[in-house]
Amino acid sequence: MGRDSNMAWFQKKSEAVPTPDASKPASTRAPNAMKVSALLGEETVLFPAEGQDKAAVLEALVSAVCRRAHISDFSPFLAKVLEREQGISTTLDTGLSLPHARMDSIDGILAGMAVLKKPLPDPKQRDLSIRVVFLFFSPNKKDAFGLHLQLLRGVSSLFQPALIDQLTAASGPAAALELVGKLEA
Amino acid sequence: MLTFISFWHAGAIVLCDLASTAWYIGGIVETAIGPAAPWFIAAVMIFAAPVLGLYVEGSSMFVRGGVYKVVREAMGSRLAKVSVSALMFDYVLTGAISSVSAGQYLAGLLNSALPRLHIHWSVDPKLFSVVFALAVVAYFWRQNIRGIEESSDKAVKIMSLVGVMAAVIFAWGAYTISVRGFHWPSFETRFTPESLGWLASGQWHKRIGVLGLVIAYGHAFLGMSGLETLAQVYREMEAPKLVNLKRAALLIFFAALLLTGSVCFLAEGLIPAAVRGQYTDNLLSGLAMSMAGPHWALLCLQAFVVLVGVLILSGAVNTSIMGSNGVLNRLAEDGIMPEALRHLHPRFGTTHRMIDLVVILQALTILLCRGDIYLLGEAYAFGLIWSFVFNAAAVLVLRFKDRSPRLWRFPLNLRAGGFDWPIGLGLLFLVLLSVGLVNFATKKVATVAGLAFTAFFFVLFTISERINRRAAARAGEAHQDKFNLRQADDLKILREEIDKPNRVLVAVRDPNNLYHLNKILETLDSETTDLVVFTSRIRTGLGLVDETVEMDHEETNLFTKVLAAAEKHGKTITPMLVVSNEPFYAITQAAQAVGASEVAFGVSAKLSTDAQLERLAMTWGSLQQDKKPVRFRIIGPHVEHAVDL
Repeated sequence: MGRDSNMAWFQKKSEAVPTPDASKPASTRAPNAMKVSALLGEETVLFPAEGQDKAAVLEALVSAVCRRAHISDFSPFLAKVLEREQGISTTLDTGLSLPHARMDSIDGILAGMAVLKKPLPDPKQRDLSIRVVFLFFSPNKKDAFGLHLQLLRGVSSLFQPALIDQLTAASGPAAALELVGKLEA
Repeated sequence: MLTFISFWHAGAIVLCDLASTAWYIGGIVETAIGPAAPWFIAAVMIFAAPVLGLYVEGSSMFVRGGVYKVVREAMGSRLAKVSVSALMFDYVLTGAISSVSAGQYLAGLLNSALPRLHIHWSVDPKLFSVVFALAVVAYFWRQNIRGIEESSDKAVKIMSLVGVMAAVIFAWGAYTISVRGFHWPSFETRFTPESLGWLASGQWHKRIGVLGLVIAYGHAFLGMSGLETLAQVYREMEAPKLVNLKRAALLIFFAALLLTGSVCFLAEGLIPAAVRGQYTDNLLSGLAMSMAGPHWALLCLQAFVVLVGVLILSGAVNTSIMGSNGVLNRLAEDGIMPEALRHLHPRFGTTHRMIDLVVILQALTILLCRGDIYLLGEAYAFGLIWSFVFNAAAVLVLRFKDRSPRLWRFPLNLRAGGFDWPIGLGLLFLVLLSVGLVNFATKKVATVAGLAFTAFFFVLFTISERINRRAAARAGEAHQDKFNLRQADDLKILREEIDKPNRVLVAVRDPNNLYHLNKILETLDSETTDLVVFTSRIRTGLGLVDETVEMDHEETNLFTKVLAAAEKHGKTITPMLVVSNEPFYAITQAAQAVGASEVAFGVSAKLSTDAQLERLAMTWGSLQQDKKPVRFRIIGPHVEHAVDL
């Protein structure tokens, strides 16, 4: 598996996330600043055609993410993320779906995003509509779990309805990336 | 919010009753046993130390303790009901005698002061004291309906004033002694036929000398009235509970000994024999007027003594209402009180019908005694001594029945044959039993009235228990506390109650899985940290809209156990129930609304720890308005995860 700039970012960040000191209240520790846009590339931002279900969107995303990371066989990644999808919901009220999985075979974060022009009903919660899917894989290591959670929090914090509205109106991957990057700047 | 009180507050509540006897015990005991009264009163006040020790051991075993709980654990429900019925008699009489005595003091002051002001008008002490007593009882009825926190603040203020008065009396008394000298009271006991009761005909006290001592001692026993309240306020005591219980016991002992013991000696030594008779019902007024100094200064001192007396005696009424409410609540928890009496006040959340019942009985007693302090004094102490006897017997029996380690043990335990024989407890029980049996024969009014009252309450409790047991068997329910719910559409309303620098939210769901709550309570500093204990009711569709503010059976059961845990640790909590369609959103919204810097969960049987944290991180980010960091903790037996975001 290859490395790119995202991996360097991750390793640097992971060093900055020690095990919490239980003697100190959370308010004395600053949260990590997280650049979600740095995890994405144009080739991992998809605008799937209408009529696809969530499983198809996930398969396309996993494929794109693995291709970018030079991983030839994406099936274990897809299987893991679909297995996770069977558990507690990854879709939020904002219209963001955040499929994720922790993989033994990677050392950094792999991420991709799908923007759905037409909302997709969430298969587990039919009253929720998915408008953006942000998928990521993180290393299945004990000391990386904090970062995994920070990314979940950071992405769900970033993708508020206003950004999602703008993304669904974006012309393509480059414009979508620019919108995310601009909001984070 | 469930709050707790300091040992100062707890001590002040108990002392309001225990120390208030100083205002009337001297006159009553002297009438009963003669000039040796101060010696026996002092002996009783010293004996309060081991009795307090008995209550420390008993209370440390059961947070919601008191004589009922301890006796029931040791000797069964029937004897527990007898003991608590007797104790109720003591509480009812405490309210009556204290408020009537306050009225007597005030009447005495008016009758002394009015002629000096050229107002030739006097009040009938008995009629005045009855009217005044009813007013005091009505006032504290209202205070107790509003809750313990408010009334314990008043108790502390009253005791502070008592401290000032004691200092003035002792200093003035020392000056008077230096001017006029002092005669120690004689050891002579002078019984009346009334004070010997059924033993008068046989002159048994003359045949058996030690019996006379026990009779005299029994008459002075009312000096310890109010001490049982220590067990009732233990539930409300803040952490560290046992340390604060011991501190409160020491405070109570020394304050009561110093005040009640000393003023009786001063009164006996300084009030001239010629005028002593006119101060039988207001002995401390007599002491004030017998000091050395100009008449106007003595009148001022009397006014001060009366003012403080009125306050502390009124405080004793408060203590008796509070203590009896505590006792009745223990009974209610065991399904012995009628269900209707457990109803909570819609605004203040207090068991107002139980308070109503006690206050009505006190008012009836005040009306029936017609302001006769000696009659009340004669009837008094029946419930007190028998609740002590039962309690001592129960703690003693529990030493044999339950050999698990105690947080604190009454001293004098002899190790033999692999068992610590409770010699100290055994001796204490024998002394209490002797006094109880002798009082039974000598205090006719107490025995007849006490037995009738005890029988009445025993029958009431037994019938209620049977009715409740049948109802519980039909519903298959265990004990549940009663809760008042305040409804709010916006969780931010909590900010009004939560003002400490740190806020922790603990999510609970399963009443049998409160390990994480207990772990948090163990280390929680209630001075600096607000703890919100949260549960959510998950509803969807119309069920979400039509929710009413009533807890269901499972929620009540859950919060009953949450409150028990908080009481055990003596830590303040704010319970919260949120109706939502998604539990993680509910937790997140609640935690963010209160500004929590830490959110704790138990280990879920359904979800993995990772899945819980992942879902929470997502909802947290989705709803977060600021960048304030938070710590998530998942705590279980042998498991603890903490993640900072």
